[in-house]
Amino acid sequence: MMGRFVGAWRLFRENLIGRIGLTLLIVFALMAVCSFIPPLIDPMYQPMHGVDPEISHSTGPSMKHWLGTDFIGRDIFSQLLAGARIAFMVGISAAFMSIFLGTLIGMIAGYAGKTVDMALMRLADMIMVMPTLLVVLILSSLFGQLHIWTIVLIIALFRWPGVSRVIRAQTLSLKQRPFIEAAKVAGASHVRIIFRHITPNVLPLALLYMTFRVTSAIIIEAALAFLGFGDPGTVSWGMMLQWVWKTGHMFQAPYWLLPPGICISLLTLSFYMLGRAMEEILDPRLRQEGASD
Amino acid sequence: MALLDVRNLSIGYQTRKGFLRAVDSVSFSVEEGKSLGFVGESGCGKTTIGMTLMGLLPKNASVMADQIMYKGRDLLKISPEEMRKTRWKDIAMIFQAAMNALNPVQRVGDQIVEAILIHEPALDKPAAQERVEALFDLVHIPRERIRDFPHQYSGGMKQRAIIAMALSCRPSLIIADEPTTALDVIVQDQILDEIKTLQKELILSILFISHDIAVVADVCHTIAVMYAGQIVEYGKREEVFEAPVHPYTKALLGSYLTLGTEKTQLEGLNGETPNLINPPKGCRFCDRCEATGPACRMEIPDWIDVSRTHKALCCKIT
Amino acid sequence: MELRKYIFRRLIEIAIIFFVILTVLFLLFRLAPGDPVTRMVDPNMTPEDAEHLIEQLGLDQPIGLQYLYYVKNFVTGNFGVSFHYGQPVADIILNRLPNTVLLFTTSIILSALFGIFLGKIAAWRKGESTDTWMTIGALICHTVFLPWLALILIWLFAYKVGWFPLTGMISAEVWIDPEAGFLEKAWDIVHHMILPLGTLFMIHFGSYLLIMRSSMLDTLKEDYILTARAKGLEEKTIRNHHAAPNAALPVVTSVGLSLAFSINGGALTETVFTWPGIGRELVFSVSNNDYPLAQASFLLIAAVVLLANLVVDVLYAYLDPRIRYE
Repeated sequence: MMGRFVGAWRLFRENLIGRIGLTLLIVFALMAVCSFIPPLIDPMYQPMHGVDPEISHSTGPSMKHWLGTDFIGRDIFSQLLAGARIAFMVGISAAFMSIFLGTLIGMIAGYAGKTVDMALMRLADMIMVMPTLLVVLILSSLFGQLHIWTIVLIIALFRWPGVSRVIRAQTLSLKQRPFIEAAKVAGASHVRIIFRHITPNVLPLALLYMTFRVTSAIIIEAALAFLGFGDPGTVSWGMMLQWVWKTGHMFQAPYWLLPPGICISLLTLSFYMLGRAMEEILDPRLRQEGASD
Repeated sequence: MALLDVRNLSIGYQTRKGFLRAVDSVSFSVEEGKSLGFVGESGCGKTTIGMTLMGLLPKNASVMADQIMYKGRDLLKISPEEMRKTRWKDIAMIFQAAMNALNPVQRVGDQIVEAILIHEPALDKPAAQERVEALFDLVHIPRERIRDFPHQYSGGMKQRAIIAMALSCRPSLIIADEPTTALDVIVQDQILDEIKTLQKELILSILFISHDIAVVADVCHTIAVMYAGQIVEYGKREEVFEAPVHPYTKALLGSYLTLGTEKTQLEGLNGETPNLINPPKGCRFCDRCEATGPACRMEIPDWIDVSRTHKALCCKIT
Repeated sequence: MELRKYIFRRLIEIAIIFFVILTVLFLLFRLAPGDPVTRMVDPNMTPEDAEHLIEQLGLDQPIGLQYLYYVKNFVTGNFGVSFHYGQPVADIILNRLPNTVLLFTTSIILSALFGIFLGKIAAWRKGESTDTWMTIGALICHTVFLPWLALILIWLFAYKVGWFPLTGMISAEVWIDPEAGFLEKAWDIVHHMILPLGTLFMIHFGSYLLIMRSSMLDTLKEDYILTARAKGLEEKTIRNHHAAPNAALPVVTSVGLSLAFSINGGALTETVFTWPGIGRELVFSVSNNDYPLAQASFLLIAAVVLLANLVVDVLYAYLDPRIRYE
């Protein structure tokens, strides 16, 4: 197991796309970690409520405000750091939940087969064609402003089908392998077979899909906040963009318009690159080399 | 003069682990209207030889030879463009039907017409289509199947279509790479008979590649047994089949004679084929050979002439 | 013949799925806090009109009957009256539908064509710098945050250099002008469409390029490519005639699979550019608590996605004979 990991890491280090992705990711993680610091220096650096008393309109970058301030004098740089924290939180928790659901459902469908399989996959098909962003929109029109964790939960509930299809296919092929047959003959229960024998084999694939799900969760949350349906109690990058847009500063304040957009795009890019690199390493088909007879 | 005369052909690949010598100084020739069969386990270099003659090796491969004379031209010295024009027109190939050798989203007939038109631009499409019809008659596929897609064919029918395609430009030499593998025995026999008949009627030269010595012995006039990139025994069908001298050939025949058993491992042979990046110094077969002695490991074996047409690469035969 | 049967079966499936969505939405509507009447009926209506509407929608009936009214009204196209516009919702969304379809299909078709073309070249030149740059460019296009891209494009090309109008779909002066002919009007729409189209194009094009590239690399390893080489075909013929058409098939599939994702992007683009389409209407009505309009827009979008999926599948079956003759 350790040896496999070391081997994978060696391949990863040779992968340019993977290296870029990981480096970017570390930078953003540092931003998220550092988001606690500015409010400690001065309460005016509070991303949501801290206001510079001397400023009442949006100003450009200065020593005091590295990236300038927004229309009521809040510090954009501290907002950007806080946004990184939210993005990670939303992305990773939504992705984790949807992968958990997707893997579980995929394994059950693949292992049980027949009616269960058909019912679950039909459900997956149905959910797969629903545009998640618009679903959250209609829900927020019914239930009012949604809390950030509610949004995370809805994203998770609507993003599992893709994963479950892949895991199901993998489970179906595992089911044919002799060691599953052997476990059955030895009297192992279904639950035991699923968790002891199938789970370890589908886990790498599930992890790979998690990186892709992180990107989609971040994008959906940001888009929602951009449209004005985010959690009003949190400062996210999408929210920052909404403020620039809605207050009509997009033409006058590039220092405000550029950073949040670049951050969202680069963070999703880094997760995506990481996923692609992992895909190449996990899928031996993609790293064939040389020729054989 | 032989149609094809190859002298001292070596082929290697640059891989991550080092230089891999897939084929090591092989020489052979094919007479007009005759057939030569290469037989050996997978990885012995027989397919690589076929690909070299077609000029279809991957980019990381390098070819060295004294000559590859075909109809008086050295294929090593002609330009890639000339080589492209030679392919199919002069040297065609019969692929394995089990492979995806036919494009799944194009009609079988169109794929053959395409080959004809590229090499005979003077021909118009109806004329090419007429020829396809004649070819289908020749390999016994009903004409109405011309406009079908490959997945609508059975395995045997696909193989016939592939043969028809190989014949489409009336080549002088055909390389048949495992043309009957993965077909069931009855269909395999039909296809082999077909190939033999066509060879006689059209006076074709065939270079036949197979892992199955029985198939090769059925079709070919001459047999070359290959092991680990080298030809280890070379001779007329009767000589090699009835009086083999090399221990490897004997093992191959032994495994053939025990019919009905699964041929995952050759009878009486243990161990694996040697690593071709760092091949052993002496005889390459010595680790798996029953008759091996100390000299086999040290000395590089030399060709022994059994008769004027029959020779083997072994230290033990005198 | 087989295809017709297949389409029929799929249409029934779609109808069932749609019915499930319809029912779930009704249940959620009843579960949601607040009074259904205030949600569906504009408080600014005259009491008689309100009375009439409540009766029409069956809001005075018990819940079981309400559901039947809901289904019946849906089938007859009676979605209630928009608070904001004061018009029947059906009229509004039918008016917006063509605008969305125009923008959306144009962008999907253009980006698929370009993605397939450039992905083919990238795969063909695998390992060269052309490939590296195309891949990086596609990755960036694929992951850039769409609303932000839209804002940047407006800022650069509409505000800074002034090549295109800031937002909207038509300029009033052109359409009022009695002299203006069809060409002027068409050009006016195209002029307004370029930036939103560009936004959607960039987002889709990147992912189609990446899919085409990897699919093409897989295809080039196929045996029939070796056959094509053996036949003595020229490299260009092999690439364009044997590899590319087969490799493009997965792109068609992915257009279908990513349709839901694309619709999200479509709604965002329409909103930023105030393109009068259904996506914008949905966002707008949710912001304005205009539930009748929001509900109808959502259902219409769901129906369009389901049908578009069918169109993509039929197209695939048409392109791939292995499916067609099964």
